Amino acid sequence: MSRLSIDFRRHRLDNGLKVVLAPDPTVPIVATNLWYGVGSRNEPKGKTGFAHLFEHMMFQGSAHVPKNKHFELIEGVGGTLNATTWFDRTNYFETVPAVDVELALWLESDRMGWMLPAMTQEKLDNQRDVVKNEKRQRYDNQPYGDWDERVQSLVYPETHPYHHTVIGSMEDIDGATLDDVRSFFETFYVPNNAVLTLAGDIDPARALEQVKRYFGEIEPGDDIPPLPGDPDVDPLIGSTVRDHVISDVPLPRVIMAFRVPPFSSDEFAVARVTGALLGTGRASRFYRRLVRERRIAKSVVTYVYPLLTGQSMMLVWATGYPETTPQALESAMSEEIDALRSAEEREVDRAIALTETDLVRTLERLSERADLLSMFDLYFDDPGRLNQELDRLRAVELGQIRDFVGKRLGEDNRAIVIYEPENGR
Amino acid sequence: MNDLDRSRPPSRGTFTDFDFPSVDRRRLPTGLDLRVAQLHRLPVVSLNLFMRASEAALRPANAGLSVATADTVEGGTKKRSGSALAEALEGIGARMSVSAGWEGTSLSLSCLADRLPEALGIVAEAILQPGFPDGEVERVRQQQLAAIRQRLMDPSSLATDSANARFFADGVPWARRIEGGTESVERFGPGEMAAWAEANYRPERGGLVLAGDVDAGEVATMVLDHFGDWTGAPTNEAAFEVTPRTRERRIHIVHRPGSVQSEIRIGHVGTKRSDPDYYALSIANMVLGGMFTSRLNLNLREKNGFTYGVRSRFLLRTAPGPFRVSTAVGNDVTAAAVREIMNELEAIAGEGPTTAEVTAARDYAAGIFGLQLETAGQVATRVSQLVVYDLPDDHFDEYRDRIRAVDAESAAAAARRHIRPHEAQIVLVGDADVIATDLEGLDLGPVEVVQGGA
Repeated sequence: MSRLSIDFRRHRLDNGLKVVLAPDPTVPIVATNLWYGVGSRNEPKGKTGFAHLFEHMMFQGSAHVPKNKHFELIEGVGGTLNATTWFDRTNYFETVPAVDVELALWLESDRMGWMLPAMTQEKLDNQRDVVKNEKRQRYDNQPYGDWDERVQSLVYPETHPYHHTVIGSMEDIDGATLDDVRSFFETFYVPNNAVLTLAGDIDPARALEQVKRYFGEIEPGDDIPPLPGDPDVDPLIGSTVRDHVISDVPLPRVIMAFRVPPFSSDEFAVARVTGALLGTGRASRFYRRLVRERRIAKSVVTYVYPLLTGQSMMLVWATGYPETTPQALESAMSEEIDALRSAEEREVDRAIALTETDLVRTLERLSERADLLSMFDLYFDDPGRLNQELDRLRAVELGQIRDFVGKRLGEDNRAIVIYEPENGR
Repeated sequence: MNDLDRSRPPSRGTFTDFDFPSVDRRRLPTGLDLRVAQLHRLPVVSLNLFMRASEAALRPANAGLSVATADTVEGGTKKRSGSALAEALEGIGARMSVSAGWEGTSLSLSCLADRLPEALGIVAEAILQPGFPDGEVERVRQQQLAAIRQRLMDPSSLATDSANARFFADGVPWARRIEGGTESVERFGPGEMAAWAEANYRPERGGLVLAGDVDAGEVATMVLDHFGDWTGAPTNEAAFEVTPRTRERRIHIVHRPGSVQSEIRIGHVGTKRSDPDYYALSIANMVLGGMFTSRLNLNLREKNGFTYGVRSRFLLRTAPGPFRVSTAVGNDVTAAAVREIMNELEAIAGEGPTTAEVTAARDYAAGIFGLQLETAGQVATRVSQLVVYDLPDDHFDEYRDRIRAVDAESAAAAARRHIRPHEAQIVLVGDADVIATDLEGLDLGPVEVVQGGA
């Protein structure tokens, strides 16, 4: 059925590190990718933003690697590298010429095994300033920059791990100490809480030997502690909750968020297909109706978050024109959501066809391929789910979409954040 | 336990370059330059159609027309509406986008390879028989006006746009915003768009590039079927001289009250893509601000913690584009950051980069070149650059050798010629009440404050 079949093998080292090897000799490149099972959801009250600050500290050197050397060495072979922190995980990745795979393994194993000896107060203070500037640049100094903070705090109760944002608060970032770095590292940055994927021009047997050589002697840690707060939430928000913001924004914007089944649920595919009918492509309902025909929205966005903890989140937003009232925009969006109950088979076919092209194009990049394999192994113990993704979406039936719209996208499950331009703007 | 020595990086094996994919090039009888790179990794294809319908060929009174016309192509054809066009494309899993820039107008398409025959027919219909229906034209104009408003209120876009206006004299197209201005966008309608497309959506001086799981001969046959009657050259040609607005160094603050950061752009008129210094200058700029371990980033980010990141860039066009350093920094360190950037500009233009820095940058440039030939889309983009900048067919085959031939002397000479700190325009978007006094204290030149925002 699916035209995709990504070749891979799985292993598990004695210290618990999961290893996925995905050979593809068609380009002389290797992508290395490490997912750690820790993200902003693991941060207790008062420590928001710490998982991300910690990610920055991972680039400040380790016992055998001086500060800035990680970047210098990878860039020196023409490679690329980065890391990202999200709700449920943190990932670290390099793409290098195939001949340099051992360099990436040396760097990643050194910081997994021997990061702490290189930590200093000076480095922490430096990266704290960098992260505070990241927050200012990407959030505080941006029109609409606080949208995710507002949405998350409406969708999830204060006790839930998704109530706060990944970037966290300035006060909490200011309060982070070297002791926090130490205990976070010892708790979460352990081989039994990680997946390492190598994708590209590798010989799997040799690659496994190399991985064992670099990572095999790293001691496992304890079991990962339970999440702080209360991950269980009701499937519905319970009502329509609102936040109306009047601020220095150029155009009105209405953001609607819904609790939806978690990524691990069979129903998650229904949420994905529903989201695609609404917002993927120019033949989607939001684009066709709100942007093209009614010209009430300048642009539309839909996003179904792949989150694990309790309930996940679906997001739709529309940005209006200067003369659009947020109320008119909101009711236009509501009408399209309600009208989804009459979705037709050909719309589903269109959404799947686009998704298939997008997925194949994503998999052209070894770094993306490795990232998805790591994700499926970390989250579901099953990297092979990558090869079943399209079939999961194809299996969604119209009746399920109709039920989903009724059960999950109604007025008893909406968080709405409205941005309205200040007077005189 | 094993005998692993962790104290030094592992030794490297033998590196093999991978060759730039071979490109089948043929000129069709109609004048269309067709270039096909056959790649058989995955069953996908990427297509770029480049036409020299350039925003730079427009007078200020018509600014934004090329951009708007390109955006309206998806709004429908003489045969079908915008929605029907979108359904036809997306129904076969094809994504198409059309956009105009300073060099011309590009249509990009990607789809699974077995859908190419159908997709190509739709692409031809969109380009050869665009409809420009009233409603879609009105929508695109409203979107463009709203986008201008957004750029005025987004500090980063506002800083970039303000810097371009400070760097270039009025007659240079890229002194202005590519979307045009409120007045020029109010001025055009369906008639102007149709006329622009009829005059300038032409094959000559452009090219059609495909990369992916296709056969070059089959592609040529299909292209002739769909584009067989398409002939001619674009009518409107860009004609202007690139001159700086001023050679006197100045500080220009766009006042945005309440800003918690200052967006900084520092630079001047740069150079053009065909400059013989291309390779040496690429290396010099990488050392200055073109990679993570650049001087600017190590100084401003890793040493001082002033910023999340900083970079420098030469935007190389057919005619000289801007050279600029871009960053965003905290209010209290704004003047200090400007001082450090100016010091780095002085240093790179003075002593130039060291041999070790040049070696590192060369290795990075030569290595990453190969890593960025992974996907059909990346290859199509590269081949399109040959068309856009009129580069020789073997340009990318030679690229790594030319990069590796750069040494410290040639990089220093290029930096000296093209980076001129004493002519720099220092442009900031931030809270002037907080930052202006310190900036005056730097003694870098006159400080001017203007109001920002829509």
